[in-house]
Amino acid sequence: MAKKTTVQQVLLQLEETSFVAHREVLDVLPALQHHDEPTQLRWLEIARRMFNYDSEAGKAFVRGSHAAEQVSETMLPWSEQALTFLQWPASVPAVVGFMANLPRAYGTLGHAGQRRWAEIGFSWYARHAESGRVYFATPVLDLAGRQGITGVEQLFEPLEELYESRKLFLSSYLAGAIRVRNLLGAQAILVWASRGADIMQTGRVRGEAYFRLDSEESLSVLLDHLPGFRMGERNRLLTLLLDIWYEHDFDFKEGNWSPDKGRPFVETDGRTMFIPAVMSDREEAILAVLHAAGHLQFGSYDRRALETIFDTAGIKLPATGPVSWTSLFEAYGDDIQRFQLLFDTCEDLRIDRRVQTLVPNYLTRLLATGSEHRLRMSEMSPYYELALETVRGAVAVVRGAATTLDPRFLPLLKPDATIADAFRIAGDLYRGTELPPITDLETFHAAYLPGRSPNAARSAHTHLQKTQKQQSPAGAEGESNEGDNDDEQGEDAPQDADSEGVQRGEREKMVATEGNSAGADKRPLQQTKTPDGSGEGEDKGTPYPEWDYREARYKRNWSWVQEKPLGESNLNEANRLLAQYAMALKRLKKAIQSQKPTRLAPKVRQFDGDDIDLNAAVAYVAERQAGMSPEASIYRRREVKQRDVSVCLLADMSTSIMQHLPEGGGRLVDRIRAGVLLFAESMEEVGDAYSIAGFCSKYRDNVSYYTIKDFDEPFTMQIKSVIGGMSGRLATRMGAAIRHATARFNGVESRRRLLLILSDGRPEDYDDGGDRRYLHEDTRMAVKEAVAHGVHPYCITVDTMANQYLPQIFGHGHYMVLDHINSLPNKLPEIYLRLRR
Amino acid sequence: MKTAASRARGVEHDILQLPQANSVAPYYEPQGAEVAIFEAAYRKRLPLMLKGPTGCGKTRFLEHMAYQLKRPLVTVSCHEDLTSSDLVGRFLLEGSQTVWQDGPLTRAVKAGAICYLDEIVEARTDSTVVIHSLTDHRRRLTIEKKAQEIDAHEDFLLVISYNPGYQTVLKDLKPSTKQRFVAINFDFPSEEVERKVIVNEVPGTAPALAAKLVAAGRKARLLKDHGLEEATSTRALVYAANLINAGLDPINACQVAMVNPITDDAELAEALSEIVKAHFAE
Repeated sequence: MAKKTTVQQVLLQLEETSFVAHREVLDVLPALQHHDEPTQLRWLEIARRMFNYDSEAGKAFVRGSHAAEQVSETMLPWSEQALTFLQWPASVPAVVGFMANLPRAYGTLGHAGQRRWAEIGFSWYARHAESGRVYFATPVLDLAGRQGITGVEQLFEPLEELYESRKLFLSSYLAGAIRVRNLLGAQAILVWASRGADIMQTGRVRGEAYFRLDSEESLSVLLDHLPGFRMGERNRLLTLLLDIWYEHDFDFKEGNWSPDKGRPFVETDGRTMFIPAVMSDREEAILAVLHAAGHLQFGSYDRRALETIFDTAGIKLPATGPVSWTSLFEAYGDDIQRFQLLFDTCEDLRIDRRVQTLVPNYLTRLLATGSEHRLRMSEMSPYYELALETVRGAVAVVRGAATTLDPRFLPLLKPDATIADAFRIAGDLYRGTELPPITDLETFHAAYLPGRSPNAARSAHTHLQKTQKQQSPAGAEGESNEGDNDDEQGEDAPQDADSEGVQRGEREKMVATEGNSAGADKRPLQQTKTPDGSGEGEDKGTPYPEWDYREARYKRNWSWVQEKPLGESNLNEANRLLAQYAMALKRLKKAIQSQKPTRLAPKVRQFDGDDIDLNAAVAYVAERQAGMSPEASIYRRREVKQRDVSVCLLADMSTSIMQHLPEGGGRLVDRIRAGVLLFAESMEEVGDAYSIAGFCSKYRDNVSYYTIKDFDEPFTMQIKSVIGGMSGRLATRMGAAIRHATARFNGVESRRRLLLILSDGRPEDYDDGGDRRYLHEDTRMAVKEAVAHGVHPYCITVDTMANQYLPQIFGHGHYMVLDHINSLPNKLPEIYLRLRR
Repeated sequence: MKTAASRARGVEHDILQLPQANSVAPYYEPQGAEVAIFEAAYRKRLPLMLKGPTGCGKTRFLEHMAYQLKRPLVTVSCHEDLTSSDLVGRFLLEGSQTVWQDGPLTRAVKAGAICYLDEIVEARTDSTVVIHSLTDHRRRLTIEKKAQEIDAHEDFLLVISYNPGYQTVLKDLKPSTKQRFVAINFDFPSEEVERKVIVNEVPGTAPALAAKLVAAGRKARLLKDHGLEEATSTRALVYAANLINAGLDPINACQVAMVNPITDDAELAEALSEIVKAHFAE
């Protein structure tokens, strides 16, 4: 009784000092009645102190008490912790956050974890009040990231160090760090935050943006450190694999995926594959490109099938341009994702069954990877299970075994199934489905098997699929594919602003303006120098014949080559490149030096020298004894052999070399400059006579040939800087350039002459009228002429489509496709060394 | 029969060996008309050039034909320091005497053998000239050092091999040399033939396994334009089959026989391994 009055007394006192405090406490107290008297008194005491400190703090404390007590089943530990806030001024928001987080803290971290959580917060509050406030305002679940107190500790480990060394505050760090941890895992935080701390020191605004993940810098650091399979770096492998299994090239582009967009997918729009920067692992990446290529190969964008689908949906398929899928799904209203998942399951099953015909064991692999991923996923998706089940069924069907697969899926496994069948079957499945509706993006993404992706992610470029018979066999793709591409362009290019279309358009525009300006400005020039005048040959350059395959004859004096010096020079760039490739150059020089003794083999059978040539000596003695009079050439001598190789490096300097590399990291021309520089440096080491030239063209009478270094010129700074300033312009009339380069070999004394042509695309010019074959045939003839003149042309190209036309032009074994542009600088000298072997 | 001694230190053979009457013909699976062409050329004693990538069966074909025609086969592997005396012969000292020793070509010319100059492009051009007089109507070998000419035995036949796929464009046969030969083009055999070859070379290979090896080999050859200097050869497939036959698991066997030897490029190797795994994964 006495005790009870004590509580009552406290309450009375409270009522006197604060009406609000009294009312709040009375609301909560009944729920805490099962705790003993001293506990209740202590709690009341703390509540009173909180109210004294600030009425808002008191309210927050009292109101949060009930929930905290319910979860923790204690009262004093957290109440005592709350007192800590009283030592700091203006800590009300922190108290509010603290009390709001308590139930979760106890629920997910446990008692010990909660203590640690509070400690970390207090230590931050002591160092930097704002940091403390942010800490307690952040939901415990976000801090822990499903890993309990370890998660919380991991999150702040990097920060401790950065706070010590660079005064980085938790308030700047926390929100970004949580996202980075969720995306990339705890190990990535340190790298990301260290960079951020540096940036923060250069400017606060920039730093804050970095930590909010708002800046480009921040995203690129993230992309650089994303764990998993880096698609950009492994581009070549993926292209090789597509080449192996599909036996032709696909168009790759970097997709616009960024880490905060959720799961990365390879997407396609009917023409191009869009590759994310990173995928979770190699297996998924490989499955993904093979699957996406399957969509392109096996008619997911077939116009006829899509027409059928749109007809059934009662919508008119747009006649031209990319088709959006959304109109198709509109009928499903808010449940659009559920239908989409079923549709994708059906269509992907159809595609994967077809991919299996090209790639042995593809379905088995998909099934294995899919099952493995399922084990890793914390929440299972029924859609994922369904998709996996269909793959299992397909594997059984392929093996000819019995299957429990829902018979509605079976028609999709037939070779003549189309996307229209997938749509119809998906509709049937949807009507009877018991699968749960999909609400958020994460669940939607999680429903896809590894390698598969939402098929409707991008608008579709439709095209007419050839008949099944032509399409399915793996062989003979090269030529028919080219035809396919042409169709496609003819159909689509005028309507949408896409690469090829724009290029052509631009070119036409350029040609048009050139035509006009020629009319305006150049006429006086042309009038003073009549083309036929023999005396004016100097300005018009050197004429060469050109081969016209249509008439099967040479057109005399058709293309005119002008020798010009290259205007631009950039020594800084040259030096930068040399510094960048210093290691590579060192390695190359070493390789050259180590090759030298074998390459420059000791000369045998000399009349004088350092060593006796044993074979020659024996032969000499023997022949003498046999009564002959042999020459006394019995010595061997190490000496640089007389140079008998000369080489001309002829670089294609058309506009296309200015393009940015698809995998990022600069432009093609940077690699070409570096390659030419390394080539020159290596040649200095090798000691063979060499020249460097570039060419470009605009119309048949305007082929420019830039001699950068002539055979007998020394390699000077001036030449270096010209190489550093190389840039692209105009088009590629290769035949004329080859003829001119061949002529330039005249007067060079060497038995073996090599013409290395560095190219990035097919021969083309503004006036070829779109007839590719014309310049191809001409180039082929130019190559033949060069061979007849004792010059061996060899083409190095970075155009991955080049094996469609180079074999015809240069012949097998006389060209090389570098499918890895970054390797060009290193490869160029290597190729030469191998060729001269 | 191998004696104990021959087991211990190998067996010395003279390069001139008639095919053993009781032995089995070296296995060869015709890809096209090459057997008929060879027989016709042999009948008229026309020199032959075998063109084709390494490991596609040129040497085996010749062994087979030599056996069928019952002629000894003398093989000379050419290299860049091969001189004409390495082919024709040289004087040697013996005591205070000199003796002339015939080179392999001279011996073949005298004995009426089939002389096979393997990878002739590798040899120095001056040494290839000695075969000129042998390859036209004269059929005569000139030995300058002895001031002698030898009319070839009536059964003598010269065969050279030549791999145009080599990336050394600067090395080529002189047109005047090339046009003295009848040339047979070889390529990797068709799938069916290649399967037969594997089953025959490695008895006990299941047809299904041979089919998988051939399919994988075919895919691997697609990478030739991507920096592989030499494509996966039939020989490599046979090696793989042998290793599998010896108990190695197929993926490892293909890796060591078909992937590791032909490239040092990590990415190409990875792509090749992918082919292997796709075909042999269970």
